[in-house]
Amino acid sequence: MSQDHHRQSHSSKSNTGSTLPVRLFFASALGWLIISSVLGLIVSLKLQLPSFMAGCEWFTYGRLEVLQRNAFTYGWIANAIFGVNLWIMSALARFEFKDSWLAVCGWLGWNLTLTLGLGAILLGHLNGYALLEMPKEVAPALFISFLFAALWPAVAFVRRPTGHVFVSQWYIIGASFVFPVAFGITQLLVLWYPTSGVLQALIHSWFIQNIQLLWIGSSAISATYYFISKESGRTISAYYLATVGFWTYFLFAGWTAPASLLGGPIPVWIQSVGVTTALMMLVPVIILGINFFGTLSYNRGFAGAWNNTTLRFILVGIVSFAVSSALNILFSTRSLNAIVRFTDFTVGQQQLVNYGFVSMVFFGAAYYILPRITGSFWPSAKLVHLHFWSCAIGGLGLALHLLICGYPTVNSGVMSYYLPVIFFVLLQLVGHIAFAINSFVMLLASARNTHDNTHA
Amino acid sequence: MKDFNLILSGIFFTLAASFGGLLISGEVQLGTLGRAPAEEGGPLYPPRETGLAIQGRQVYLELGCVTCHTQQVRPAGQGNDIAKGYGPRPTVARDYVLQTQLLLGNHRNGPDLANYGARAKSDDEIHGHLRSPAAGSTMPAYNFLYVVDKNGVTQPTERAQALVAYLKSLRIDYNSPEAKLKQ
Ligand code: HEC
Repeated sequence: MSQDHHRQSHSSKSNTGSTLPVRLFFASALGWLIISSVLGLIVSLKLQLPSFMAGCEWFTYGRLEVLQRNAFTYGWIANAIFGVNLWIMSALARFEFKDSWLAVCGWLGWNLTLTLGLGAILLGHLNGYALLEMPKEVAPALFISFLFAALWPAVAFVRRPTGHVFVSQWYIIGASFVFPVAFGITQLLVLWYPTSGVLQALIHSWFIQNIQLLWIGSSAISATYYFISKESGRTISAYYLATVGFWTYFLFAGWTAPASLLGGPIPVWIQSVGVTTALMMLVPVIILGINFFGTLSYNRGFAGAWNNTTLRFILVGIVSFAVSSALNILFSTRSLNAIVRFTDFTVGQQQLVNYGFVSMVFFGAAYYILPRITGSFWPSAKLVHLHFWSCAIGGLGLALHLLICGYPTVNSGVMSYYLPVIFFVLLQLVGHIAFAINSFVMLLASARNTHDNTHA
Repeated sequence: MKDFNLILSGIFFTLAASFGGLLISGEVQLGTLGRAPAEEGGPLYPPRETGLAIQGRQVYLELGCVTCHTQQVRPAGQGNDIAKGYGPRPTVARDYVLQTQLLLGNHRNGPDLANYGARAKSDDEIHGHLRSPAAGSTMPAYNFLYVVDKNGVTQPTERAQALVAYLKSLRIDYNSPEAKLKQ
C-alpha cells in the first residue's frame, strides 16, 4: 500500500486539457461529501434525540434528511462521476481536451444550481419524490449544466484515434446519456406537466432505477473494470462475456422499476413485470462477478489487490456489489419484499450499493487519478489508512446494522437502535475528513506549482 | 461494438423499451381513471379536498412528513398493513386520481397515514400529538407551528390548522370498485 501512493505520476501527458475540470470535479465532490456526511450525522442524531435542533423549521428532520440525500447523490456522487468518467475516457481515448473551459462552465453551473436547489429545500420548497425534491425551477439549469459537464466522454470517444474499444467506455457512454434522458422525461411528466395519480409514482420508480443502475451503477462498473485491469496488470477474465453483460444490464435495468413498488396501488401485472426482470438481472450480475472476481483471482491477485490502495477500496466495492446485487434480486420477490418493504432494511440495501460499492470504487479511483493529475504524492499515508478503515468499517457496519436490525424496528421507536447508526455515521465522517485533508493538500500544492511554472 | 452510433442507438432502444413497456401501457390502463361512487347513485369518491386541506397538504410537503410516513396500504398477503390497522382495504390507483402530487412515500418511521382521518380523534388531540409526539417516538415536535397568545395559551397557527384539516381528510374507508370494504 505504502509504495503505491508514493509513486510519481507518469501518464498525465495523455490527459492534456482534462486535468483542470477533473480537479474541479474532485474538489467539489469532496466538499459535498463532507457536507452530506455532516448532515447524515445530524439526521441520525435527530432520530436518537428528536428534540435536537427541532425548534427551527429549517432544520426539521423532514428537510435535513432530504438535503442529505440530495447532497450525497447530486453533490458527491455526481461530481465524482463527472470527474472519473472524464478522466478514464480521456485516458482510454487519448483525448486532447481543447475546450475544457466548457466543462468548467458545466461544473460551475451544476454546483451553483445544486446549491440553490438545496437552499430552496431548506426554506421549504420541496417535492415529495425522492431525488426529485429540488424545486422544478432548478431542473432546466441542472439539465443544461449536465450537458456541459458530462457529455465530454462521448466527444472523446467519437474523436478517439484508436479503433480499440474497452468495456469501460460502453458503460461511460451509457451513463452519460441515460441521466439527461431519464431526468428530463421525469421532470416533465412528474413535476412540469404531471401525469395523473399513480402514474407519477410509476414514472418516478423508473427514474430512480435508471439513475441508480444505469447512471450511478454504470459509472462505478466502468471504473471497476478500468482499475481492476489497470492496477492488476491483467486483461479482464472472460472478457467475451462483457458485451453480453453490458447489453443485458441495460436491457433489464429500467424494467425492474415496479419491483420497488410491490403492493402499491399500481396494476398487478406491472408489478409482476418488475419482479421478473429483477430476477433476470442475475445474468448481468453474474457476468460482472465473473469478470471482476475472475480477473483478481489469478495468481494471488487478491493479496496483491489488498496491498494496492486503489484496489483495496475496489475490493470492498466489488464484494459490496456482489452482496447487494444478490440481496436486491432476492428481496424483489414478493414474499420477501413484503417483510422488508418500507423498513430500514431497504435503507441498508441502498447504503450497501451507494456507499459500499459506488463510493468505495470512487475513493479507489481518486487514489489512482489525483496523484497523476497533480503530479505529487499523497501527503500522508496515515490519513490514507484512516480513510480506508473508517469508511470500510463505518460504511459496511452501517449497512449491516440496518440490514440485520433494521426491519423489525419500524414504528417502535427503539432508541438503542440508533446509537450504532450514529457511531457508524461518525466513523464515516472521520474517514471523509482524512480523505479531504489529504486530497486538498495535494490539490492546493499542485495548483501552486502550476501557477509557479507558468510564471517561470 | 466499435461504433458509437451502435452503442448510442442500443442505449436509447433499451430506455425507450422500458419507458414504453411500463409507462405508456400504464397510461393506457390508468390514464382515464376517474372518480367512482361508493354505492349505486351515491356521491363520487375520492371526495374533493377542501381549501384548508389543500393548504395543509402543502404544509405536510414543506415539512417533509413524507420521509417518515407513507400513504399507501398494501393488500393482505403482501405485508400486514391491514392487520396493523392502517386501513380497512388496500389503496388502489383510483384513490389518488385527484392528487396533483402524490405523497405515497417509500419509508416508514411512523405509521401509514392513508386512512388516518378515519382513526383520528379530536383536533385538540392531533394538535397535542404534533406538539409532543408519543414518548420514545422518533417524530420531532412541531412547536414552531404554534404560538402563545397574550393570555399565555398555546394556539395553533393557520398552518397547523390546515395541517390538521389535511390529516383528517386522509381516508379510504369507503368502497372502491377495485377494492370493496369487507362487510
Ligand atoms: C422522524 C420521523 C417522523 C417525522 C419526520 C414525522 N413523523 Fe409522524 N410519526 C412518527 C412516529 C415514529 C410515529 C409513531 C409514534 C407517535 O405517535 O409519535 C408518528 C405518528 C404520527 C401520527 C399518529 C399516527 C397514528 O396512527 O396514530 C401522525 C398523525 C403523524 N405522525 C403525523 C406527522 C406529520 C403531520 C408530520 C410532518 C409534520 C410527521 N408526522 C413527521 C415519525 C415521524
